Amino acid sequence: MTTTQVPTSTGAPVIGAGVTRVDGPLKVTGAVPYADDLAPRDALVGVLVGSTVAAGEISLVDTSDALAAPGVVAVLTHHNAPAVIRPNEASSDERAPMPPFQDATVRFRGDYVALVVAQTHEEAAHGASLLHVTYDATEPVVDLNDPRATRETDDPAGADSTRGDLDRGLAAADVVVEADYVTGDNTNNPLGLFAACAQWDGDALMMWATTQWPFNTADCLAEAWGIPREDVRVVCPYLGGGFGSGLRPWPYIHAAAMAAKVVDRPVRIVLSRPQMFTGVGHRPETVQRVRLGALRDGTLTAVEHTATIPVAMDDDNPENVVSGTRQGYAVEHLRADVDQVRLHISPPGSMRAPGEAQGNFGLETALDELALELGIDPVELRLRNYAHTNPDQDDLPWSSKALDECLRRGAELIGWDDRDPTPRSMREGDQLIGYGMAAVSFFYFQQPCTVRVVVRRDGSAAVHCAAMDIGTGTYTVVTQVAAERLGLELADVEVVLGDSSLPASPPAGGSGLAMAISNATARAVTGVLGDLELGSAPGRDALSRAVGDRDEVAAEATADKPDPAEVGMSPSGAFGAKFAKVRVDADLGLVRVERLVSVIDCGQVLNERTARSQVVGGTVGGIGHALLEHTTTDLHAGPQTGRITNAHLADYLIAVNADVPDLEVEFVGGPDRLNPVGVKGVGEVGLCGVAAAIGNAVHHATGRRIRRLPITPDLLL
Amino acid sequence: MHPFTYTRVDDVDAAVAAVTTDAVARAVQVPEDAAFIAGGTTQLDLMRDGVWSPGTLVDISRLPLADVEVEDGDGDDGTVLVVGAAVTMADLARHAAVAGLDVLRDSLLLAASPQLRAMATIGGNVLQRTRCRYFRDPTVSQCNKREPGSGCAAVEGTARMHAVLGVDAGCIALHASDLAVALVALDARVRLHGPDGVRTLPVADLHVRADDDPARDNVLTPGELVTHLEIPVPDARTGYLKVRDRASYEFALTSAAVVARVEDGVLAHVAIGLGGVGSVPWRATRAEEVLRGRPASLALFEEAAAAELADAFTLPGTDFKPELARRTLVRQLRDVTEVTA
Repeated sequence: MTTTQVPTSTGAPVIGAGVTRVDGPLKVTGAVPYADDLAPRDALVGVLVGSTVAAGEISLVDTSDALAAPGVVAVLTHHNAPAVIRPNEASSDERAPMPPFQDATVRFRGDYVALVVAQTHEEAAHGASLLHVTYDATEPVVDLNDPRATRETDDPAGADSTRGDLDRGLAAADVVVEADYVTGDNTNNPLGLFAACAQWDGDALMMWATTQWPFNTADCLAEAWGIPREDVRVVCPYLGGGFGSGLRPWPYIHAAAMAAKVVDRPVRIVLSRPQMFTGVGHRPETVQRVRLGALRDGTLTAVEHTATIPVAMDDDNPENVVSGTRQGYAVEHLRADVDQVRLHISPPGSMRAPGEAQGNFGLETALDELALELGIDPVELRLRNYAHTNPDQDDLPWSSKALDECLRRGAELIGWDDRDPTPRSMREGDQLIGYGMAAVSFFYFQQPCTVRVVVRRDGSAAVHCAAMDIGTGTYTVVTQVAAERLGLELADVEVVLGDSSLPASPPAGGSGLAMAISNATARAVTGVLGDLELGSAPGRDALSRAVGDRDEVAAEATADKPDPAEVGMSPSGAFGAKFAKVRVDADLGLVRVERLVSVIDCGQVLNERTARSQVVGGTVGGIGHALLEHTTTDLHAGPQTGRITNAHLADYLIAVNADVPDLEVEFVGGPDRLNPVGVKGVGEVGLCGVAAAIGNAVHHATGRRIRRLPITPDLLL
Repeated sequence: MHPFTYTRVDDVDAAVAAVTTDAVARAVQVPEDAAFIAGGTTQLDLMRDGVWSPGTLVDISRLPLADVEVEDGDGDDGTVLVVGAAVTMADLARHAAVAGLDVLRDSLLLAASPQLRAMATIGGNVLQRTRCRYFRDPTVSQCNKREPGSGCAAVEGTARMHAVLGVDAGCIALHASDLAVALVALDARVRLHGPDGVRTLPVADLHVRADDDPARDNVLTPGELVTHLEIPVPDARTGYLKVRDRASYEFALTSAAVVARVEDGVLAHVAIGLGGVGSVPWRATRAEEVLRGRPASLALFEEAAAAELADAFTLPGTDFKPELARRTLVRQLRDVTEVTA
């Protein structure tokens, strides 16, 4: 592992070392304050009611029985809910999800039609069951292949790209492979059910809510209610998993604010598990076509990657399925294109490696097919087309890239060269053995992040930022960065996160937070040390002396993305190589992963323990993506229902321990050149590539090419 | 969830009285929609999902039905395990008397999750309701099991975890128990205690096929309570094979419980239960007929498995199941008999 380890005053390494999580004791003792734990105890409880049709208009809501039920205080519908403005997402010009109860239109099955507010959850749930809603239903469009669906070609994700001349590249090719790839819809399914509690004080709103982005949630609520931003505060110090589902300001958060306004008391909402399938986003299915042209020696002459993904009615969700393709390989002629098809489905959102996870499966499976066609080793094929500069950004040199090292080291670890490369050639009893691999070139994502560093009279320090820790270790790595640069013990640094009243932060998403907040912290430390006229890492005594008789000295700093042209480099995301060894039962089609090796270049590793944990967690998600996870919707022969048929954790299959071998993770490469801490995000690269590596291993084991996720036993019979 | 009342009873007669609709005769006033509850691992889900709204729950988890006794069997039977209905799946799986009875132990240990096995009882397991997600969603109006005559949404919908045997277009609900599949292969019996006394039934006769009457899960009369299972310990080798996407905590795509004794190369005894395929725990009598008394061979196993699945009712989502079930049965016959050719 290549990391710089800087000792503290006591000689213990801080950066890179696998120090234990600073919030570990709180977590293992159950003392962590999740957002819902902070809700006022006297809050009323709201239960949301979803539509039972997928399209149409609400014609009647009869609330009389519900209102007469014990404990029920109010029922919110589009007739009596406050009108609010639909906000935009701070990160883009896209519309945030539509606040609920603003009109009679039903846009998907499960779209909220009412909120029943009662003294207890049980009373609210009972009241909800007594609500009588009738609809003027229309026939929904829920199938990606439905010819009636509107096809949006305006490229909201900025995904489309053409370079060179595709036809020329194809004409120059000795070999062309072309195939369609399908990835199923997935649901994030964090274990922690999402919750929101709203409390109004006059026209000021206090919100405790499950969110990966408190700052943006506060922005959106202020915009929705037309109230000053400083009068909105959103707090989420911890959540029980996110995987992207907490990135958008979802309707249930608005519902809590509306209800609290109407009843003039705090109102708390906890989503049910089925509501977690329709209320907080999902990874949209994709249909992709990949066409690769190559010379006999493996040189790619042309790459075409097109994809169709769904988007909800009256919603935006930029999801770039082809970003990895655009920057992955040195190919002169390329066409990448993503179309969105508008359906009556619940609004999609980001799910760990959004777009990348699906697109990587298409591209890296196609490359495996090409390697076989050419008789070239799949690792060698990738090295032969290695992008030494970024073909998607004016061929600028990467700010850091060690993908070649990832590939070579991964091959070595799994014993790649010891396998018999012939498909269906390796067998032990009933079990067919297969090896497969995939490469990942993850996108770079960075948004402005501001951090305030406070040095107190006693020489200890605090770091403040609105960003939140979704369990990945943000509290810990920020503590490490601040401690190292101030010369403090970890225990002398307090990190305060998850509160929109703190300095502005980007989301805990896009693999971008560790880089943003680390560099902002480093800059703020530099600022405060300058104000104190101290050199680097002065230590607690010097800090205390410099603060003198003041209470504290604070400095703020912002980290932002660099201008590539100005710095003459292409800012790099993480790179990775995944190698899988699978066993497939020759008769029963059961695929079990025996080994999974991930070699990752994420620049400077801030904390070997939390970084490894990120890759391990991502890989578990990747195994689910490859073999298990699939949100299925009714596909009736007749009129569609748009109903999800497996919206429960017993039926939606997440990988369990028995599906996951001891995962092997190594880090290679060195600090990135474009930021002072040298770090690149590692949140999503762990998931990406796992599905293609497993699918390619299944092909090697069985000789069967499955171009569809998840790869289930019935596809292999 | 609708409001309900909850009572706990201490003996079997009181339990039966508490849910019997003939309230006047027994001098106990009870609502007509009273029901027993023990582990509650299925029932609470059904209540939360709004599929089932009993007025009264009679808690039978404290009844003295939590013992496993090993008794001498009648006539040709060897020993018989008499298992109280309130024994949990976890407790039965680790009972010494089950250690050598692979088909029973594995059907328990491969089911559900450790948490569920610690709560769920044997009696409740055999009576568990279908996992059909059309049945379990009250917003789906077509369900002949919930509303007789309303139709079957699953037949036109996305059916994968559904049955292909003992079903027709009126209902394709699967009986998802693993344990019950082993029990039918073991010729187990169920002891029932009802308002009119005690009776004993083969487990294979307990459930009602969906193609006979989708609205009825089983032949229990109102107020009847499962008190014990009687499980003969066979003089045979046994095994349970469960095939599923996920390596743990998932219902079977297909499964096979095999009880077999080979004497001089001939199948002297064979009994087979199939899971993941039937509207009831499926006793594979056709396959058994093909096998019984004939020389064991892989070709014979193929013939038997094909015979059993010949009349499967399949839909686009379940059309893989007969083939997977055939392969599952052949594999398990091979492994239990150790026949290699």
